[in-house]
Amino acid sequence: MIKLERRTSIGWFAQLSAYVIAIGLGLLVSALLIIASGASVAEGFGALYEGAFGSSEAILQSLVAATPLIFTGLATVIAFRAQIWSIGQEGQMFAGAMAGYWASLYLGGAPSFIAIPLIILAAMVGGGTLSAFSGWLKSRFEVNEIISTVMMNYVIVFFLSYLLAGGPWTEAGTTSYNQTPILAENFQLPVMASAAKLHIGFLLALIATVLCYLIIEKTPLGFELRALGYNPTALRFKGTNVGRTVLVVMFISGALAALAGVSEIFGVNYRLRGDVMVGLGYTGIIVGMIGGLSPFGALIAALLFGALTNGSLYMSVLSDIPPALVPAMQGILLLFFLCTSVLVRFRIRIKRPAHD
Amino acid sequence: MAVPTLEARKLSKSFGPVRANHEISFAVNAGELLCLFGENGAGKSTVSACLTGLFAPDSGEILFKGEKIRMKSAAEAIKLGIGLVHQHFVLVPDFTVLENIIIGSERSFAVPYVAAAAKLRKLCETYGIEIDPNAQVRDLSVSEQQWVELLKALYFDADVLILDEPTATLDIENSKKLFQIIDKLKADNVALIIITHKLDEVMQSDRVVVLRQGKVAGIRDTYATNPEELTQLMVGRDVSETEKTRTPVGAPRLILEGVTVAGKGNVPDLDDVSLTVHEGEIFGIAGVAGNGQNPLMEVIAGVRNPSKGRISLDGLDITDLGVQEIMAQGLGHIPDDRFLQGLVPEFSIAENLILGRHRSEFAKGNFIDQTKMRDHARTDVAAFQVSAPSINTPVGNLSGGNAQRVILAREFHLSTRVLLANQPTRGLDVGVIEYIYERLLEKKAAGVAIILASAELEDLLTLCDRIGVMFQGRLVGIVDTASSGLSEIGLLMAGHETRLAS
Repeated sequence: MIKLERRTSIGWFAQLSAYVIAIGLGLLVSALLIIASGASVAEGFGALYEGAFGSSEAILQSLVAATPLIFTGLATVIAFRAQIWSIGQEGQMFAGAMAGYWASLYLGGAPSFIAIPLIILAAMVGGGTLSAFSGWLKSRFEVNEIISTVMMNYVIVFFLSYLLAGGPWTEAGTTSYNQTPILAENFQLPVMASAAKLHIGFLLALIATVLCYLIIEKTPLGFELRALGYNPTALRFKGTNVGRTVLVVMFISGALAALAGVSEIFGVNYRLRGDVMVGLGYTGIIVGMIGGLSPFGALIAALLFGALTNGSLYMSVLSDIPPALVPAMQGILLLFFLCTSVLVRFRIRIKRPAHD
Repeated sequence: MAVPTLEARKLSKSFGPVRANHEISFAVNAGELLCLFGENGAGKSTVSACLTGLFAPDSGEILFKGEKIRMKSAAEAIKLGIGLVHQHFVLVPDFTVLENIIIGSERSFAVPYVAAAAKLRKLCETYGIEIDPNAQVRDLSVSEQQWVELLKALYFDADVLILDEPTATLDIENSKKLFQIIDKLKADNVALIIITHKLDEVMQSDRVVVLRQGKVAGIRDTYATNPEELTQLMVGRDVSETEKTRTPVGAPRLILEGVTVAGKGNVPDLDDVSLTVHEGEIFGIAGVAGNGQNPLMEVIAGVRNPSKGRISLDGLDITDLGVQEIMAQGLGHIPDDRFLQGLVPEFSIAENLILGRHRSEFAKGNFIDQTKMRDHARTDVAAFQVSAPSINTPVGNLSGGNAQRVILAREFHLSTRVLLANQPTRGLDVGVIEYIYERLLEKKAAGVAIILASAELEDLLTLCDRIGVMFQGRLVGIVDTASSGLSEIGLLMAGHETRLAS
């Protein structure tokens, strides 16, 4: 019989080396995949590195690619730390983008410094409300949050399809592109480094990371969030309204995911369309998990994944490696990180079953 | 004399340092109803598990019809003809009655449904049990499920039937019916062992084996004994020797009037309870765990809401207040299950000590006051002698005694007027128990009204001014510890409400 025993103490060096080994093994298995696809490993990894970090422009582009992942990663961290298994980051991101766009329709010629904060606020309320709805179903009717959030993802994505494929938000004169007309300039997120369109969304993501850390570790709400994850009964016995805490946690998580939508639509594409966001929510779950459900961990993981995504564009142009290998690599890395996190926390004991 | 159907000879079984059974010997004959009687944790369930192959005894022998047997599993016991009716149902809710009964009996791919159904119908007829073999178990009432458990054991033609607290889930009528079935089984020469702590059921058996702390305290023929003697054997002490110093108690502090808490089914969890606890009084709650102690404590603390009745603290109506508001009135609550209800095991000692006050006293602006939290933890760890590597140690890594000290520290700060202590000494060693009692007496001296629920009757007698006995959600009687002793309480605990004078 194989048993897992919890380790009583874990050294920081052991933890660090475990994660370095995880990256190493992840890259090794990815290399095997590249070989299997008939391409050259050195060429592939070289192109990947070049595309991700090869020039200052490449680095900035990696940061742009990382920005939405930081938000969806943080959304995952907030929910999962409370052991609420929300898989709704994808839909909440869509809802955020849609709510932001909807707000922009009423803001006409408002100057940027008024329009943009309002768009962001509307997006956060939109994503947060969608997420809190699943939280309400959970605390009021004991509906499993995994099911309800996944279902809401479908609902919201198809709703956007309706709006853009001939629906009221479709760009006049086209239906085949499934997109809105281009956004007025006053709605576009200001750019910080013009070489790669690094918009202020990235700065917001850094601020959000710090705020999430403070909320989780230093505030009474974070105290309740963590206690909720570990033992909601004890929390209830000491007078915390657990149902309300679930709502608040879900709202914050959804509002964070919504910001990913804002950054993609108002910072990069300048028009609302679904295809540019697809998958960023689900990847955020991987980012949060690899980051060990800590905000700074998620930040680092998002930067890594942003670089991977950005580098992969270059890789697919420069080598014969199919771009589909990149999500496979992300998955492989996740598996190794998850295995490592178990090994770091537990010791494996193999016991023969005792007779009698 | 005939050979006993089942005999235990010097059975011993330990779990780590805990000696659950120590050299237990008794025998049960065909057509006899033997009763195993004892307090919670006296070793009744362990011995029945040994007899039915669920546990292997460390030493000792089991003889079945005079032959030594060794069982490796419950399936072997069933094959031999030793059946166990579980205290907790082990039925598959989505299966029908018939399917549940023949589970484990199928020997090939084809399940002999027709033959099984016929046999089941005959069993039901013989013993007067009315049940639809094709009903799904999830649709059955609790008592009907009990019949299914029984039928499951009967289906395998058991020569020995062990019933583990079979009436715990039955109402009076169904309990009567059960004993009618038992009589029929006796007539069919089945040897029966019933485990119970209800005295009126004990008195219906032929012989009684009294267990105390894992040993046989005595075996009596039922016709030659009486409830008083059995109670005395069960608690292991002469009942007349209690003598205690009494401190005067003050004005009424906590008053419950007709408090009822609704349960899941029709039976309320707490049924029309009225009591008054005074300043400086320790009010004990005796009774086997699960008879309403938890709902009582939880409804006072505000964790649960009463469906009827009124609760007041120093004249203030707290019936509809929440946990936080009641806590602010000076009430501390040591819950029954320390790691589930009292603590967040993954949290540090320091964090657990501020649980519940993290939004009030220990908040500074939008943040938790870390310095205050740490200072508070250092003081408490020293004052309550919590032994731990540091205040940042997760309480899940602490021993039960040290974890309990963390709860004590937290709740003692809160309990300036009322302290609810629900089984505070359960599973702890003697040193910690003494310590907890000393601290309780300190609180009493400070005028706090204390409710102490405990399974340790003797301790209740020495500590408490009055003791209430709870049985099936009701407060069946209150006795003054100055004027009454163990036997009276023991009788009440076993449901002998009618015999009570007060």
